[in-house]
Amino acid sequence: MDYTIFYREELSCTGGWDDESSWDVFISAFNSSERVSKVFELVNAANKHWIIQPDYGYEVDEYPQTNSFGPYSNNEAEFIKSYFNDSDMENLCQLRICIDITGFIKPYMMHLIFMLKRLGVKKLDVIYSEPARYADKEKTTFSDKEVFEIRQVYGFAGMHKPDVSKDILIIGSGYDDELISKIADNKNHCKKLQIFGLPSLRPEMYQENILNSHKASEAIGAGIRTAGSTYFAPANDPFVVATELSRVFQQEREKKGINTYLCPLATKPQALGFILFYLTECQNEPVSIIYPFCRSHSKETSIGISKISKYTLEF
Amino acid sequence: MIENKNNPFDITKAVDFSDKEINDYWVDLSGDSGFIKMVKPTSPMPMFILGGKGSGKTHLMRYYSYAAQKLRFEGDIVEGIREDGYIGTFLRCGGLNANRFHHQDSDINWSLLFSYYMDLWLSQLILMVINDATKNCDKFAGCEEKICEEIFELFSRPNEDELPPKDIGNLIGVLHGLQRQLDLAINNYSFSPLGMENVKILTAPGKLVFAIPQIISKYFQPFKDIRFLYLIDELENLTEDQQKYVNTIVREKEAPCSFKIGARLYGLRSFSTYSANEVNKEGSEYELLHLDEYLRNISSATYNKFAKKLCFRRLSEAGFIVPDIKGIETDIKKIANFFEIDEKSNFLKKSTSFVELKYEGEIRPYFERLKKQLLKARQGNEKSIPLSAKNIDSIINYLACSEYPLLEKVNIYLLYQDWGKSNNLVESAKIISEECQKFTVDNSYQCRQKQRLNHFQADFFAQLLRECNLKQRYLGVSDFIDMSGGLPRNLLTILKHIYQWSVFNNEAPFVGNNKISVSSQREGVLEASDWFFRDARIVELNGTVIQDSISKLATLFRDIRFSDKPAECSISTFSADLTSISATAQKTIKASVERSLLISIPGGQRDRNTKRIDSKFQLNPMLAPRWDLPVHRRGAIALSTVEVNAIFDPEYTDSLNELLQRRIGRMTAPAFGKGKFQTSSQNDLIDQFGD
Repeated sequence: MDYTIFYREELSCTGGWDDESSWDVFISAFNSSERVSKVFELVNAANKHWIIQPDYGYEVDEYPQTNSFGPYSNNEAEFIKSYFNDSDMENLCQLRICIDITGFIKPYMMHLIFMLKRLGVKKLDVIYSEPARYADKEKTTFSDKEVFEIRQVYGFAGMHKPDVSKDILIIGSGYDDELISKIADNKNHCKKLQIFGLPSLRPEMYQENILNSHKASEAIGAGIRTAGSTYFAPANDPFVVATELSRVFQQEREKKGINTYLCPLATKPQALGFILFYLTECQNEPVSIIYPFCRSHSKETSIGISKISKYTLEF
Repeated sequence: MIENKNNPFDITKAVDFSDKEINDYWVDLSGDSGFIKMVKPTSPMPMFILGGKGSGKTHLMRYYSYAAQKLRFEGDIVEGIREDGYIGTFLRCGGLNANRFHHQDSDINWSLLFSYYMDLWLSQLILMVINDATKNCDKFAGCEEKICEEIFELFSRPNEDELPPKDIGNLIGVLHGLQRQLDLAINNYSFSPLGMENVKILTAPGKLVFAIPQIISKYFQPFKDIRFLYLIDELENLTEDQQKYVNTIVREKEAPCSFKIGARLYGLRSFSTYSANEVNKEGSEYELLHLDEYLRNISSATYNKFAKKLCFRRLSEAGFIVPDIKGIETDIKKIANFFEIDEKSNFLKKSTSFVELKYEGEIRPYFERLKKQLLKARQGNEKSIPLSAKNIDSIINYLACSEYPLLEKVNIYLLYQDWGKSNNLVESAKIISEECQKFTVDNSYQCRQKQRLNHFQADFFAQLLRECNLKQRYLGVSDFIDMSGGLPRNLLTILKHIYQWSVFNNEAPFVGNNKISVSSQREGVLEASDWFFRDARIVELNGTVIQDSISKLATLFRDIRFSDKPAECSISTFSADLTSISATAQKTIKASVERSLLISIPGGQRDRNTKRIDSKFQLNPMLAPRWDLPVHRRGAIALSTVEVNAIFDPEYTDSLNELLQRRIGRMTAPAFGKGKFQTSSQNDLIDQFGD
């Protein structure tokens, strides 16, 4: 399936957005990055919600007290359920909703989008702000790396078949080689494919990404340049990612690959591509999104803001 | 760069092999140690196969699975299975996504649901195997309907009028439908718990697992006497409670079924069962095969041959070498010739020729160091060593043996030994010199040099390399085999990295008479060693505790090895009384063993003072290059309780600095533990330990 027909738009970093970029509800996940707070200020919405995720470990006096929801639980299903209960949003399918995924930790973002679709939302705007650079280049740590659980993300668990001999694992490989290794080790039996962000958000980030993921090559089972197991899609374009996933998926199906596991570990737009592909093509299939759950995440990983993109998902 | 052929060692994990490759790359142990004798696939006794990462569990289990079995029989599969006496159904627990079967604050009986789910899963697998094995078998067609009917009867069906499927394919479809119903309810439970109300468990736990083989062997005569072997791999992916179910079917096993269950060393969480909470006992309910321990304990000649056969199989399958008509014995001898190694020579003269080349006309670095120590000792007003500059020069002249740098190192070591005992170091040096001269003429001459060389040759050579600012040497396939420590994957990983470096260095490895350079071997080995250390990251014990502890231990070994007067030769092993150490230290050591960072040495070590038998552990030789340590195990140091705690328990790390200063100080000139001088090597250690 070709997802590139979906709308994608660049928004000005200084505001002055048109009426198309105003919403009934705007949902953003709070963290200390400038790119998160700035977009929250710039957005024109009737209701703006701050999501407080427990993984960042903020004290009560550190996060916004108005229109903030959380921190409830580090179980994404319970979290989103509590958020919906507390936010009193009704007739979701009638609302114009926008999510800024920049500060979201991926499982919360995945389950939120899954639930919005399940509750009847047909069209959803998503914003992502790109950093000028990551704080410590390729050594930037995004999580504490203490993976306490690797499991299917709620809402993204498939119905798998007992013949696991042709299983595949598609990893959206990011900066964190430990997470890549852990996921590869957890689905040890799968043939591993990797999708890298190219073009990357910034020119140097591709090199940094490759340097890091090379450290996981032993767990992946082959070198990163092994033909037929490495794919590329722009790090900031979920629609190309989804299209590439769709193509790879069909290709593996033809090779009799049955059970498929997806694991988005790179940028949020890449993860958004995984979500879109899954919700469009994989529900009720032997396909799951799995994720390494860490206990805590860094509150601030980037410096500056270089670009704001708006993606419109249609289900 | 030369044209890059496919790296013959690129695949290091059996999971990445096709079924055909599982057979093609199969290598057995020679003689009575063969795998079939260990695994006993036709035995009714269940077996747990434990092993570290890369010990070969998965290859072993897949080799006995039906998918590999059928490729070994070109003609009649049913007859082939009859000949084998078993049919293997292979299950990977990683495919079950077992952590779906747990939700906090839920009143659902998840254990029961998991048991039912696994029964359905195993049933589909065994039926798929039977369906494939009998697809061209007329005899089976004659009884297929009856078999399906009887298996269908095993389910309590809400709709009694539902007709049984007539063939195995449709029966699998029915079971898969039941599995999908379960999947739907379980997967949606977190956001739609009401779906669970529709779930019905239609069979008793374990019933399908035993009854399906019984029904098949009852109606299908060719399989009447064969063993239905469930090969359950990756048990570590199941929770303790879920393993209880596996233990229960092991305990309650019924003919004609049996089990081989594979798990990593840390993967066995429980031996208890749901059968009145009884605990399975080794020898009674199951046998235990500890694979890497087994491979470490067979004779080194057998393991060596097995490892070389592994290499040869890779190289021949990839077309690098052609099997010799004289057989495998000739083939495996070729492997060693592909690597450049140090030439044998008297007192390592050739291997140490770099000393002469590098320091021609200059004082050699170890004599420079000795000179400084002797001067320092004089400045320190050591009453027993009244040394003039002339005396110091005399000592150095006596100890010199310029043709054999290795003997110069031995001579210095002997002087260090005399240092504390002798009032006259010049006289000591003179005696050492006389002995040395006789030894160089007749290397069977019994002297202290000969004794020390027997023990410390590798360490003295390592010190020479270091003192001349050269990197340590881990060369030749024998070293690599020793480094693998009973984990064949480690050997393949080393060779994989060496191959990559060799290609990068334009060497055309494993082709003709080409030899892989020292530099490629060294880089490859270091890379493999780093990978092994990195790969052992564990989260259970606050992330880096285990790695930090191993790092401290290895640094201690390194500082002993490169000290002036090492207490033990080829140090990579320690013994300790584990009963007296802290709970955290015990936990860290246990986890290190389970992750193969430490190797437990059977039999332990008798403590010199108390005669108590202490536990003994070797640092995995894969880690040796990372810390310039020896790959061969010889000496062992006894660590005290406080030292073990300081290394393996973060709570006691503060005391480590002082404890290790004391230990290394005893091996360091000029004070040798008398507390007056602190050396640079001690400072290194302190830095490493984060003082």
